[in-house]
Amino acid sequence: MAISDKDFETIRDYIYTICGIHFHASKKYFLESRLTKRMDATGLKSCNEYYQLLKSMRGSEELKFLMDEITTNETYFFRNVPQLNALETKLLPEIVEIKNKMGFRKLRIWSAASSSGEEAYTMAMILMEKRSTLLKDWIIEIVGTDINETVIAQAKEGIYNAYSVRNIPEMYRRKYIREEKGSFILSPDVKKFVTFNKLNLYDDNKMIFMKTFDVIFCANVLIYFDVAAKTKVVQHFYNNLQPYGYFFVGQSESLHGVNDKFKTVHFPGGFTYKK
Amino acid sequence: MDRNDLMEKAQQMVDQVDDMPTIPAVATQVLHLLDQPDTEIEEVANLMLSDPVMTARILKLINSPVFRPEREITSLKMALVYLGMRHIREVALTTSLISAFGEDTGALKLDSFWEHSFGVGMASKIIAKKVGYKDLEKAYIAGIIHDLGEVFLSTYMREEFNKLLVSIRNQPAMLVDAEIQQLGTSHCEIGLCMAQKWNFPEAYCEVIAHHHAPAGALTEPVLCAIVNLADLFCCVRGLDYAGQEWVCFNLEEEEGWQILKNLSPHLAEMDVERFCYELDDALIDIRALVDSIFGVKRPSEA
Repeated sequence: MAISDKDFETIRDYIYTICGIHFHASKKYFLESRLTKRMDATGLKSCNEYYQLLKSMRGSEELKFLMDEITTNETYFFRNVPQLNALETKLLPEIVEIKNKMGFRKLRIWSAASSSGEEAYTMAMILMEKRSTLLKDWIIEIVGTDINETVIAQAKEGIYNAYSVRNIPEMYRRKYIREEKGSFILSPDVKKFVTFNKLNLYDDNKMIFMKTFDVIFCANVLIYFDVAAKTKVVQHFYNNLQPYGYFFVGQSESLHGVNDKFKTVHFPGGFTYKK
Repeated sequence: MDRNDLMEKAQQMVDQVDDMPTIPAVATQVLHLLDQPDTEIEEVANLMLSDPVMTARILKLINSPVFRPEREITSLKMALVYLGMRHIREVALTTSLISAFGEDTGALKLDSFWEHSFGVGMASKIIAKKVGYKDLEKAYIAGIIHDLGEVFLSTYMREEFNKLLVSIRNQPAMLVDAEIQQLGTSHCEIGLCMAQKWNFPEAYCEVIAHHHAPAGALTEPVLCAIVNLADLFCCVRGLDYAGQEWVCFNLEEEEGWQILKNLSPHLAEMDVERFCYELDDALIDIRALVDSIFGVKRPSEA
């Protein structure tokens, strides 16, 4: 079913306001097909009826189903290239300069919804490349956390499929990935830089111990939280970030209205948050 | 470097070029006329008709897919009525600039230049509206012309400018800083010399000169701040001269942002993230606009 531009904008605005994720105009067809699926499942005939359902008392439950349809849980290595470019080009050298002045040569990175580990290991590869230059004699600590123990086990194992590794630049792939019977095995050299733990972002008692990070990633998770939960979790990230550190959310995500203390720092193709 | 030194160097560069295109006198007269209150459409039409090339271009543009009139518009007066007073400035100026700089011979790709220019124009208009700036079309025009100096560098200093572009590739460097460092002046001063030569209204001259340092503007700091921010945002949302410039900025530390927040404190609440995403969406329209003006055919894009 085709939806009008106006209906698209209405639903898109609603998703943005509640979840903090923006659907680009180019994704209209995608949203259209997923909406049709949910309308069939709920037996509703028009976009407007469906929108009324989202806004009703039962709306939050339906929104969860819709979000499951329109977001993909799959992750892969080198997923957010503009973020990685910004880190390499400007943000990391800046952090290193500040810490060098303090004589504190240790870099701490947190992948806060690490899933099967691709984001954390991507950072590990990038940082390892800099050990003879920018990060000479530096200690690198990368922590991956997730609420789901199954994915943590996968992350620790470090074996991936072709989809996961398809974006890894050739230079890294040659060095750190070994193919065996259609599986892609991550080098132990990379694995040793990353530790994975189970963590519920909503658990205050544990969150207060995740201290002094230089860079925190939390992509595509906050969109499932309501505003109160988001506010609480983001405040923890704020507290746990160094004054010169950066907090990254996923592509098309927004923290507007969630935390007014973070400042936006913009770079080609994206932005990040800073204290 | 002292501002006077930068201006002196820019003036030398501009004076050395004998064949610099001229903006039809009519275009600048139209701009001045439209800056007067109570100007009648008749007056503007009569003025424009004295320039047959401009008249022809306007008719071509108005009948292009950008405006999509229901029926072909055949007279200039009809075209101006269709556009409305507010858009005449835009069309008069852009048609002249396009005829002056329509050849793709410089170091920068011409379509990436115009995409940036129209993008900054559009973003300026949105920001102007948010801060309650009275003349939205003026903000739009100011955005379109702010980087005229870059065309000069790209066209007449091609070799030096190419070298400069190579030197900052993948570096966190702004063109304006690299220009001052390597050429002894920047597109701001060069653009100002061009605008003065073409007798542009004062406000536009100031935007061209101060869009990277709006606090230094004497008469139109707000307009300069609007274009300054629009420029920064466009540079990080894909309207960045095809990636030639790598811009990174902390919004809170930008003087343009401070100027506009002082003017309208509610700007602190602006949903900056969403503004960025909306600019991404607008990219498609901006490319279509530039394509239809220059007749560029692109391979279909995802």
